[in-house]
Amino acid sequence: MFRNQYDTDVTVWSPEGRLLQVEYAMESVKQGSACIALRSSTHAVIGALKRSVSELSSHQQKILQIDDHLGIGIAGLTADARTLAKWMRNECLNHKYVYGTALPSGRLANDLADRHQRTTQTYVRRPYGVGLLLAAFDRNGPHVYQTCPSGNIYECYGTAIGARSQSGRTYLEKHADSFGTCGREELIMHAVRALVGCVGGDGELTVENGSVAVVGKDEKFTLIEGEELQPYLDRLEMEGGNNGGGGDAEGDGGDDMET
Amino acid sequence: MASSGSGYDLSSSTFSPDGRIFQIEYASKAVENAGTALGLRCRDGIVLCVEKPLVHKMLVSETTGRRIHTVDSHSGVAITGFVSDGRQIVGRARDEAANYLETYGTTIPPEVLTSRISSYVHYFTLHGALRPFGASTLVAAYDPGTKEHSLHMVEPSGVSYEYYGCSAGRGRQSARTEMEKLAINPKQGEGELIDVQEAVKQLAKIIYTLYDESKDKPFELEMSWLCEGSGWRHEGVPKDVIASAVEWAKKEIEEAEEEDDDEMEE
Amino acid sequence: MSLSLQAGGSATRALSSTAPSATTSHTTSPITTGTSVLAIKYRSGVLLAADTLVSYGSMAKYKNARRLLPINSSTLIGGSGEYSDLQSVTELLKRNALEDRCTADSLYNEESNEECAKEVWSYLRAVMYNRRSKMNPLWNDLVVAGFKKNEDGTISDEPFLGLVDKIGTAYEDDILATGFGSYIALPLMREKYRPDMEEGEARALLEDCLRILFYRDCRALNRVQIAKVTRDGKCLVSEPYELDTYWDFKGFVNSKAGLGTDGGW
Repeated sequence: MFRNQYDTDVTVWSPEGRLLQVEYAMESVKQGSACIALRSSTHAVIGALKRSVSELSSHQQKILQIDDHLGIGIAGLTADARTLAKWMRNECLNHKYVYGTALPSGRLANDLADRHQRTTQTYVRRPYGVGLLLAAFDRNGPHVYQTCPSGNIYECYGTAIGARSQSGRTYLEKHADSFGTCGREELIMHAVRALVGCVGGDGELTVENGSVAVVGKDEKFTLIEGEELQPYLDRLEMEGGNNGGGGDAEGDGGDDMET
Repeated sequence: MASSGSGYDLSSSTFSPDGRIFQIEYASKAVENAGTALGLRCRDGIVLCVEKPLVHKMLVSETTGRRIHTVDSHSGVAITGFVSDGRQIVGRARDEAANYLETYGTTIPPEVLTSRISSYVHYFTLHGALRPFGASTLVAAYDPGTKEHSLHMVEPSGVSYEYYGCSAGRGRQSARTEMEKLAINPKQGEGELIDVQEAVKQLAKIIYTLYDESKDKPFELEMSWLCEGSGWRHEGVPKDVIASAVEWAKKEIEEAEEEDDDEMEE
Repeated sequence: MSLSLQAGGSATRALSSTAPSATTSHTTSPITTGTSVLAIKYRSGVLLAADTLVSYGSMAKYKNARRLLPINSSTLIGGSGEYSDLQSVTELLKRNALEDRCTADSLYNEESNEECAKEVWSYLRAVMYNRRSKMNPLWNDLVVAGFKKNEDGTISDEPFLGLVDKIGTAYEDDILATGFGSYIALPLMREKYRPDMEEGEARALLEDCLRILFYRDCRALNRVQIAKVTRDGKCLVSEPYELDTYWDFKGFVNSKAGLGTDGGW
């Protein structure tokens, strides 16, 4: 019987030069519900689909605020994300105490990626099974970063991770050229439209399962959920576009291990 | 592969019966599949050049997946392989440089920096609880003490050498062949060695010669230099210089192809 | 040797037996010192001034020590107090500045993460307060000068001038002085200061203050440096130069405890 011997430990290279445990951790990101993010020249927006385990339960939390100027959307093991969020909040507070200013998001994103990487090189800890989208507005303008369990990090104009995120990403890619000049409202609408594509089967984007957050020039990180999301869904309805992605059932989103 | 399944290749703390450590070889494989990285030592400085694949269309390419990093005022490194592994090496290199400066009051000499990086990378090949780095590091540095500049490369095994020209990643072999044609080796005495301006063009040409548009992912050229002209500081090659080098390279390659075609017809 | 995890086990005893003698004390008074630093905002930036003397107790030991230092492309610090601590603080700040350059997001914009003067000042406050809370202070009063950053990261028109002392007290002002200068020079500077002072005017005021300090402060010297931060020209520190002095004032000539006086001037 052939069993892959190289895929049970993070510290073992396969003969092809791959790290299978890390690649598996990347898979867990694809299991999580979708999360998208995009930015204009003044704002950054995160959108996410929240799951609930049953009719009787609340929906999960997909977008976490880290600081006034920064928040994350998550896909994958949410418990792992909480640990990371706690650490990130701490980093931001420390920076504010020491320097009196907001932590530059690029620095935080890089430190976060390094934190991911370290788990892939030591035997004692498993990789974090979560992908993060970071939306921030700092002194260098708005930013969107994507991190992976492998420790790879991308700064993007728009991106999507999690289950069925491919159609969301396709939507974003199609409209990416126009994001730069978008106003706040238009950018949120783009997020909502991209999200709709990620809804599974005959599902719908609703005030319960939808979640959007925005941060930008003169605007602190703000969650838009529940009733506050309704106007955007109404607008979507007017455009006639709130049916789930349906056909595009194949989940994707995480990138391949980039070498 | 003979090693596979033998059980001798599951840990870097295990030797195979014929004295090899397969885990290091596998880690090197990760580098061999990655974007090409080139380094060239010229008359008046050093040029680093890396092929950076763009994984999707919406990337902010200037800040994403950077493979060339400044380590100290007079040194920079290019990495290829697992970029996230490489960043770890870069971080260590910066710590080493800063500690040296704090202790001795002078900039870290190139060979000391390289040997410190080597030791760090090597350490990860010794323990079962760690894995070797899946990244190679090209170190360009200037020694203000001796006023010499030099180029080194550290491999995943922790081995390092000094080079006139070195390459890592997917196109390393063909790139080496191309670089051997350039006037960079003073021992060959081919008269005047090339300068950094020329090197930027030649390196761009090598990368574009190896690139197959139909097979390979779209990429961006990342280039830096450390030369007389930059006051021996490590800095990005100005974008317009890269752009004109690429333009020149593409033209050269086209012309060479036309010539080939002509010869075939004859 | 076995260690017990229970209360009162060998580990606990081992700790408690060493605890009383484990108290350490650190240097809480300076040895080699620099005296006052003066600073003033003017029309197009901030000016700093200090002499170049480092004293060993009351001995004028080093006469060419620089105490006004640029620590990144747009921030100057001036320090009085223990000179070795000042060197250590400067090295720390320069190391941070180098790290900020190296970790910039882009190879083409290495200044993007550079700390502005206000951040340097805030950072020093944290360092100084932390050290004094450990009863191991850095024995300096530091003046930080530069420009504030706009929200978008560009350097603003608004000059910044702040002070951090050896116990972590931090404040901003248009005019600042440390050491003996805070008694002697500050009142004079307050009298003459205007927000729209020209550089020459501000410079003359600082030189006057330095001269007066040289007359009255036994740890001062007439060999001085002036430094400025401007929005466009960034940091400039002058080479040390000597101030003219005039010792023939009547009060100086007829000094000392002459008959019929109270012993003062």
